[in-house]
Amino acid sequence: MNPSDSDASRFRSVPTDRRGERDLDDLLVHVARGDQSAFETLYDRLAGPVYGVIRRVLRDPSQSEEVAQEVLLEVWRTAARFDPALGGAATWVMTIAHRRAIDRVRSTMAAAEREHKIAEVDTPHDEVAEAVEASLDAERVRRCLGGLTEIQREAITLAYYGGHSYRQVAEMLKVTLGAVKTRIRDGLIRLRDCLAVS
Amino acid sequence: MKLFRHDLHALSGAYALDALDQGAESERFARHLNRCPSCAGEVREFREVATALAFAATTDPPPELRDRVLAAAALTRQLPPNVTSRARSHRARVRARVPWVPWLSGVVATAAVVVAVLFGFAQAHSEQELNQARAQNEAIALVLSAPQAKLLTHATTRGGVATVVLAADRHEMVVTTNGLPALPAGKVYQLWLIGTTKTVSAGLLPTATSGQTGPVLASGVVKGDKLGLTVEPAPGRAQPTTTPILALPLPV
Repeated sequence: MNPSDSDASRFRSVPTDRRGERDLDDLLVHVARGDQSAFETLYDRLAGPVYGVIRRVLRDPSQSEEVAQEVLLEVWRTAARFDPALGGAATWVMTIAHRRAIDRVRSTMAAAEREHKIAEVDTPHDEVAEAVEASLDAERVRRCLGGLTEIQREAITLAYYGGHSYRQVAEMLKVTLGAVKTRIRDGLIRLRDCLAVS
Repeated sequence: MKLFRHDLHALSGAYALDALDQGAESERFARHLNRCPSCAGEVREFREVATALAFAATTDPPPELRDRVLAAAALTRQLPPNVTSRARSHRARVRARVPWVPWLSGVVATAAVVVAVLFGFAQAHSEQELNQARAQNEAIALVLSAPQAKLLTHATTRGGVATVVLAADRHEMVVTTNGLPALPAGKVYQLWLIGTTKTVSAGLLPTATSGQTGPVLASGVVKGDKLGLTVEPAPGRAQPTTTPILALPLPV
């Protein structure tokens, strides 16, 4: 680990990609200047998580590919708007990716919503298990998810990987809106602390 | 319903996971963030957590995606930083007269070609050239905004990449290229529609600027056609005389 990382503010210390968080910021700065080879490197580093998270939300491979392409081009196009003061490059990119996947799911899901809901409510655990086999970082995430209460874990998983709104999550878990808000927030606080120390 | 501040705070988690209802609710929380630095800090931390969740879901995308994204990026003009003090050049003035095309935001897949179109404008130096560019732009816009439009990219055997937006229902397509080798004087790149029974010219590629050729509109694409590209003696031939350096099947 880069020794200078200890100087970083606390939110920067959540280890999403500890080896290269700083390089990623630099890469994005080069991308913003139109450096195509920097963009290639950035692609190689981030296309997997971008596609992975979109795929988890959308499930459909061809739609996921389409949205991933949109997101990665958006990164190229708007790289100059990236502000390192507001968070790391990986987070900037993943925030765009997740939001685009959600936009897509909310626009196409209205019709098929009911079926989806019923199908997905049974699967959050399997989904996590499947997701976290992907990498070593994933092992740490799995361990930290394991430290949550069941309802915290389900609420976060259904919202983030399942792409459901917290209202939908409340319905699915049969708890009040207030309870879902609190469980998601408490769960994220626990995850943050767990990921920061491990 | 008026929410208490405490309730708003509690939404930070759902907001960071994009789980608020799109629209009023999400916007209200975003406004709250401007006034609540501790909430903004918490959302940043939660987004870092979400990033870890995204990395945990890492899945290799199909390998073709890489070529497509890189080719499209090579053709896509980047936005300047928010604050810019660049002096207005002649180019900037010409470009400023071009209305930004409204469908750009919706059809990012075709942004590459849109950008190529706008380059065409940027390079127009007279009113007449500008009018021609405008007319061509309208025809191209119809292809780009066709609901069924597909984006195809393919490398040529000589290097460089062709990007095609195909509107199968209109039997039309728009072709741009990037990074093709420069040709000696007296030679041109010619596009072809190679059909099962006959081959017809689909036009010449214009001269490249910074390695990129502006959009060529081709009509009359039918089932079974391939897009061909050959090097021909200027000003082009009625039938191809050299081996195609690209033969891209067109899914019509």
